[in-house]
Amino acid sequence: MALKPVRVSQLNSYIKRLLQTDPILGNVSVIGEISNLKFHSSGHVYFSLKDESSKVNCFLPADTFAGLTCRLEEGIEVTASGYIYLYERGGTYSINIRTIEISGQGELAAKFLKLKQKLEAEGIFDKAHKKPIPSFPYKVAVVTSETGAAVRDIIKTIKRKNNFTDIIVYPVLVQGHGAAGEISSAIDDLNRNYHDIDVIITGRGGGSIEELWAFNEEEVARSIYNSRIPVISAVGHETDFTIADFAADLRAETPTAAAERAVPDTGALRDNLNNMHNEITEALRLQMDKKKQRLEMLNPDMFSRDIRSRAVMDRIKLDNLFQSMGDRLSSYVSNYRNRIAVMKEILDTCNPENVLQKGYSVLTDSNGNIVKSTAQLTAKQAVTIRMAQGRAEAVIKSIMEDS
Amino acid sequence: MGENKKSFEETMKKLEEASAKLKSDNIPLEEAIRCYEEGVAYYKECIEILDKAEQKIQTLTK
Repeated sequence: MALKPVRVSQLNSYIKRLLQTDPILGNVSVIGEISNLKFHSSGHVYFSLKDESSKVNCFLPADTFAGLTCRLEEGIEVTASGYIYLYERGGTYSINIRTIEISGQGELAAKFLKLKQKLEAEGIFDKAHKKPIPSFPYKVAVVTSETGAAVRDIIKTIKRKNNFTDIIVYPVLVQGHGAAGEISSAIDDLNRNYHDIDVIITGRGGGSIEELWAFNEEEVARSIYNSRIPVISAVGHETDFTIADFAADLRAETPTAAAERAVPDTGALRDNLNNMHNEITEALRLQMDKKKQRLEMLNPDMFSRDIRSRAVMDRIKLDNLFQSMGDRLSSYVSNYRNRIAVMKEILDTCNPENVLQKGYSVLTDSNGNIVKSTAQLTAKQAVTIRMAQGRAEAVIKSIMEDS
Repeated sequence: MGENKKSFEETMKKLEEASAKLKSDNIPLEEAIRCYEEGVAYYKECIEILDKAEQKIQTLTK
């Protein structure tokens, strides 16, 4: 018995209810290959999961996508878990994803972590063990696939920067069975049998985690660690980290970056050298100028001129001194002259001759003593009278007392 | 090339040392001239190494 016709929206609403109440469709895990991958500006991700004969739309909400540790790529196989949701307006359904995992990745991630911890504990990643990358390598060995993008990028980059460093490509498998063994023994072989290699670059271009896996193998890490020659790792893109990266002396983000780091720019080296040449020439010129200046200060001509002018100065000083000494002396002399004249005047006034000139006489006894008192005299005593002009002998007649 | 393998890096370093010495304040003249002559010799050595460059690219056979 047929129902009466329903509206489209009623039909879709009914199907939606059926789908959403189904216990299996409410929590389903689907394995398939990603195609039609679209990252919407809203942050939500849309894609299809497909197998050989069928496909289904998927919706990955922005917040779930943000929490993902793996990278979604076109063509990779994933296991998506979520619930079936019907969009009523379009009548299409999709898987609304709660969790998504790249197939086998859970297992690989666990293996990666376990090996990383083991090698870390052994000191394989120790910074102290890492060798410096030489700044001027004569020969670089590249351990990678000879047909891959990596070797092309590396050679192109080295040739662009540098026309000096030799490149030796050591071809190896970089993915699949046996790849890790080949990479590992290539590094060992280079160390053992090639004595002119300055640095090794090993790596490959981008790929899925499975494709990069050889670089997560223990034997590769050990060969890198044991390498006497410094090793630069260059695996995949900048977001890819492998065990080889941790073990390497230097991790480059990409093969191109590895080549950049491995060789110097010979053009820049030349410029630098020419600058240095100019610098030392200039430095020598400066030193010479400095010495010349010092020498000029020691020039004998300058020296004698200097001495001569000093002699003139000393002469002037000496003359001044002599002059002032003469002046001093003559002032002394005239001073004494004055004092002598004064003294002479005093003497002149005191000269007894002058008294005699005035009519006084001096009486002396026979012994020459000046008679100042009658007490010195006796009657009949002979005396001498001295006058201004001449002298006379006399005899005392009598002595009178002063009345 | 094994013998002068390190020579570019080392020569470059010596050139830098000579340059630094030459710029120092109290360097005697004879030493300044010697440093300069050494520096020029190092410079020529480095340039010669670069000039002799003949980059070889070789792929080993498996």
